[in-house]
Amino acid sequence: MSTQTAENTPATSKDHVVCLVGMPNSGKTTLMNALTGGNFKTANYAGVTVSLLRGRSKPEFGTPRNIVDLPGVHSSVAPSPEEELAVEVIEGRHPKVKPDAFILVVDATQLERHLKFGGLVGRQGKPTVIALTMSDLLVRTGQSVSALKLANALGIPVIPVDPRTGRGVKELVAALDGLSGLLWVGNTLADVPTEPVAAFAHIQDILRRSGAVTRTAQPDSLTSRIDRFVLHRYLGFPVFFLVLISLFAAIFWMAQPFMDLIEAAFAIAADTVKGLAPESVLMRFLGDGVIAGVGAVAVFFPQIMILFFLMTLLEDSGYLARGAALVDRPLSYLGLHGRSFVPMLSGFACAIPAVFAARAIPARRERLLTIWILPLMSCSARLPVYALLLAALLPAAAWQAGLSLAVIYVSSLLIGAAVAGIAARIFMRHRQPSLLAMELPAYRAPRWWPILRMTWARGSAYLKRAGVPIMIVSAVLWGISNFGYVPGAPIASTPMEQSFASGLGQRLEPVLRPMGVDWRVGVGLISAFAAREVFVSSMAIVFHVDSDDEETQQKGLLKQMNSATFPGTTQRIFTPASIIGLIVFFFFSLQCFSTVAVVRKEMNSWKLAGLQLLFYTGLGYALAVLSVQTLRAFGVA
Amino acid sequence: MKVENDSRFHLQQLTVTVPSAQLLSSIPLNKAVRIDRLDGPHQDCARLLDLGFTPGEEITITQRVPLGDPLIVRVRGALLALRRREAAWIWVE
Repeated sequence: MSTQTAENTPATSKDHVVCLVGMPNSGKTTLMNALTGGNFKTANYAGVTVSLLRGRSKPEFGTPRNIVDLPGVHSSVAPSPEEELAVEVIEGRHPKVKPDAFILVVDATQLERHLKFGGLVGRQGKPTVIALTMSDLLVRTGQSVSALKLANALGIPVIPVDPRTGRGVKELVAALDGLSGLLWVGNTLADVPTEPVAAFAHIQDILRRSGAVTRTAQPDSLTSRIDRFVLHRYLGFPVFFLVLISLFAAIFWMAQPFMDLIEAAFAIAADTVKGLAPESVLMRFLGDGVIAGVGAVAVFFPQIMILFFLMTLLEDSGYLARGAALVDRPLSYLGLHGRSFVPMLSGFACAIPAVFAARAIPARRERLLTIWILPLMSCSARLPVYALLLAALLPAAAWQAGLSLAVIYVSSLLIGAAVAGIAARIFMRHRQPSLLAMELPAYRAPRWWPILRMTWARGSAYLKRAGVPIMIVSAVLWGISNFGYVPGAPIASTPMEQSFASGLGQRLEPVLRPMGVDWRVGVGLISAFAAREVFVSSMAIVFHVDSDDEETQQKGLLKQMNSATFPGTTQRIFTPASIIGLIVFFFFSLQCFSTVAVVRKEMNSWKLAGLQLLFYTGLGYALAVLSVQTLRAFGVA
Repeated sequence: MKVENDSRFHLQQLTVTVPSAQLLSSIPLNKAVRIDRLDGPHQDCARLLDLGFTPGEEITITQRVPLGDPLIVRVRGALLALRRREAAWIWVE
């Protein structure tokens, strides 16, 4: 038995930290939502919960307190990085986050496993309250659990909570207040042995003697019925592909009207600002540099939100884990892991949340391999680039461009698989695969409001993080392409041909010519390292497209690109060969400094991040040159 | 606190083959069986134990996925996807 006085952990203290802890799928993050009203920040922006969420409890729950949601822990044996992080915080070894009290989230349908984990929390000797979730699922297993009897047996308050409706959350906070006001006695969880066999026996003994659980559990019939269908021998994969196709269709088509709207709004805003004082450099800077730059990011917001929304929906309903189980065999053949599925899927939206999502992969080697191939997944930043280039390549029919885009997407997955398979066979030949042992949560009908709140929290965090570098680069690019150094004169606004960008691009001309493009495209390629989609807006800047005219920016840009020639000649720049070369370059090249920075941080290795940058960008350049020269050799201009 | 039947749960990797023990992967669907012992890489088996696969516990294979791997196993009210390779470490009575 452990006891502790409450004096050193007053609930009113500003630094008082309550940690939400539990196993994955226990409803922790939903409870976080209910406690904070969705008002929390991710330490990193995440695809699926992989980082610490920090927030403050809503005023209606009394004194606001700091709440930290820790990643779910399956087991502290051979942990994944996110599990290790959670265990570190729980044991008080984390340098920044020191828990003063715990809310232990326990799934009522899996008391033995969840209370066994609770042993780790109980041993810390800190005030602990149990939030008993999933009580609504007990109907399916034919059981009932008495929170009161459980609380008596454990010596800890046990509050039944349904975080999805908010039921019990107030009582949970009240129980937490009760603990910190009184002398805190009890906590049988602290006596749970660390050795698993003895620990489970101990928990079973407590549960049996408490009489808290009636009847033994029946299998959850709804979950078995759905699994028989979605994991069916013949139907399993068709269902899986249907889900994925719907996901991508939704990301691209549902987002389109919103994207058009945002694009139009930013065009109007830019014109309005420039219209205020047409001759002013400042207004031009604000209009073409800043507002257009913000627009380049904001236009992706609908796609990112829809992706996060659907991923949260799939995760919440329970299907995402089934998808990972389905593809575990092919993925492990490639040296990856079933859990590589979620990062790879996120990679089709953006590599950055995907890199974070890879934290759920237990073994460093499989995580490394997953992160290594993530830049190949066709992220949504490539989409506007492909859209522009395909429109220039195949102006006749939209369906041809659509089909080519589908081919590009599927190829990115296949080539990613090939790279992983080859790398695993060369560098990791003699390694045993790591453990899968992945939990498949019970299916639950989604609750829209918590999912929407979660989507907003994840999406807005993404926008803030990715938006700033893109804005800065747009502004700098505008500056270097509009200003130049003319001998004998101060640095001033100059035509494009005399600008800093031109000077820089012309030095790169020898490298760019084999790809069949000139320095202006080179400026676009370099600026795309801020974010690939910046290529489109820089092309508009370097080819002097005015959005003032009646036509849309893309049509104007296409017209300019069509008539663009190498300086001093009549030779066109954008020929089928050079456009294909550019597509190949964008397909492979790691043109995203944010990804490089995030990979460095995640793998704690500059060498690895640098190697990845050089490998993919070098490969992209070599293959682009190869395609252009081969096509030309066969008579394609 | 005394742990009941502590000796029964000794799981150090047995070298003696119990004649009645079978591989988990050879058990038909939806047939409840008791775990006899775990026999595999130390670290991996330790994690399986920690996840609830302890000797004496009843488990059921509830589903085989389309490619035959992994198996879906119910243990202590949870569904876990186990690769055939991992299931081969679990011997059942």
